[in-house]
Amino acid sequence: MRLLGLSHFLKGNLARAGALFFGIVVLYPLAGLFVPVGLWRWEGSGTLDAARVSISLTALAMLIVVLLGTPMALYVARSSPRERLWWQAVLLVSVLLPPLALGILISLAFGQHGLGLFLEQFGFSMTNTPLAFVVTQFYVSIGYYVLGSIAALDAVPRPLELQAALLGHTPSSVFWRITFPIARLGFAVALSLAWVRALTEFGAVVITAYYPAGLPVAIWTNLENFGLPAVMPLLIVFLVTALPLPWLAHLLAQRRSTQRA
Amino acid sequence: MLDAHVVKQRAHFRIDCRVTIDSGESCGLFGASGSGKSTTLACIAGTEIADDGYVRLGGETLFPPQRPLHERSIGYLTQDANIFPHLRVSENVRFGLTNGARSESDAWIAQLRERLQLVSIWNQPAHAISGGQARRVALARMLARKPALVLLDEPFTGLDRHLVRELLSTLVSWQRELRFTMLVVDHEAEILERLCDRAIVLEEGQVVQDARWEALHADPATPLLAQLLAPL
Repeated sequence: MRLLGLSHFLKGNLARAGALFFGIVVLYPLAGLFVPVGLWRWEGSGTLDAARVSISLTALAMLIVVLLGTPMALYVARSSPRERLWWQAVLLVSVLLPPLALGILISLAFGQHGLGLFLEQFGFSMTNTPLAFVVTQFYVSIGYYVLGSIAALDAVPRPLELQAALLGHTPSSVFWRITFPIARLGFAVALSLAWVRALTEFGAVVITAYYPAGLPVAIWTNLENFGLPAVMPLLIVFLVTALPLPWLAHLLAQRRSTQRA
Repeated sequence: MLDAHVVKQRAHFRIDCRVTIDSGESCGLFGASGSGKSTTLACIAGTEIADDGYVRLGGETLFPPQRPLHERSIGYLTQDANIFPHLRVSENVRFGLTNGARSESDAWIAQLRERLQLVSIWNQPAHAISGGQARRVALARMLARKPALVLLDEPFTGLDRHLVRELLSTLVSWQRELRFTMLVVDHEAEILERLCDRAIVLEEGQVVQDARWEALHADPATPLLAQLLAPL
């Protein structure tokens, strides 16, 4: 009996030690923050400007993503299985397009031979402008948001919504009083994924909006021009703006699903 | 008055059921499991859409065309309680009341709370209560609005026998007092007999008999019905 207990103890601790090793491997790249690269250079690194551009324009892009993506997610989530499959296929295209390819396609589709001529009549340019930046971020993140929101809506039992409607609530009241409160963490996870996807996008943005330089482009140019000491401040700001929101949203969602189980 | 004709194709048979109930009367929908009772009820409620037929309530046509659910004065208690897990019990019960009706309904809500034994759980989160409590909350929530038509789908599943006995008499007295029209689905004749004088019997979607209980017991239309009515 004692031997059997010892064997269970060793197996359990061995598994935990293995998991710990795996965790260290996953987090190991963060050790790079402590590697000496010389005195960090804050002046002239453009950190604040890049952060301002990235955060403000990504926030604007997210507003558009939420306003357009949420009704779409509601529509797809409540459509027939066949129609739903079609829409998911469309959304997956936007998710699976390689960023560089997406950037080139956006610059062509919104360029002089595409929608660009029409937009320029109204004074909008889609080359190296905030508009180009926001449009690109919209395209790189919308698929993630809508697909994530559909998953969030799938977690809301349809009979609850029908019951709420039978109790006299209009469709919008049902959404705000039943659907949204139950799905809100799922929506938050979807939004945080879209946020981090847009904020960290480099490949597509570098093609369509090299200027105004957001954090990823600024990191690249600083690395090229000044080396690592000028990159580190940008890197810290980049991590602080990109990581906490999705990290917290995922943890909260996980905690809630664990509590329900 | 409820006047409905529900036609709906199921996997192995076609439901073709006509239901007529005078205002303030109650009627049972009786039959073996899988005979199409719950689907018929869902089509009358509007949560499922019939392939053909019609649903009229108090002179208003609810189908066709399908009238939006929020415009129907129907209380529908399904087999699952479907209470809203993110709200408290009290918020669940008051969910169907408009702001104007809330203060007027206070006495009625207090009565529901007492008679359905919700006092001890009144302020608890709905996700923390038991299955039996959830069914009582759902019953209170449905009756809080005083709907013109009450549809009950196996309303006492999962409740203790002594509570069922009490709820049956409470429900009958409320039905007489409030004069709502009531259609109840159950596969237990004993429960339906306590709630309704009359029953429509379904077998594979077809109405095989529509009569008062005495007539059903005296002369069941089919061997299956005779078996369902026979004591254990």
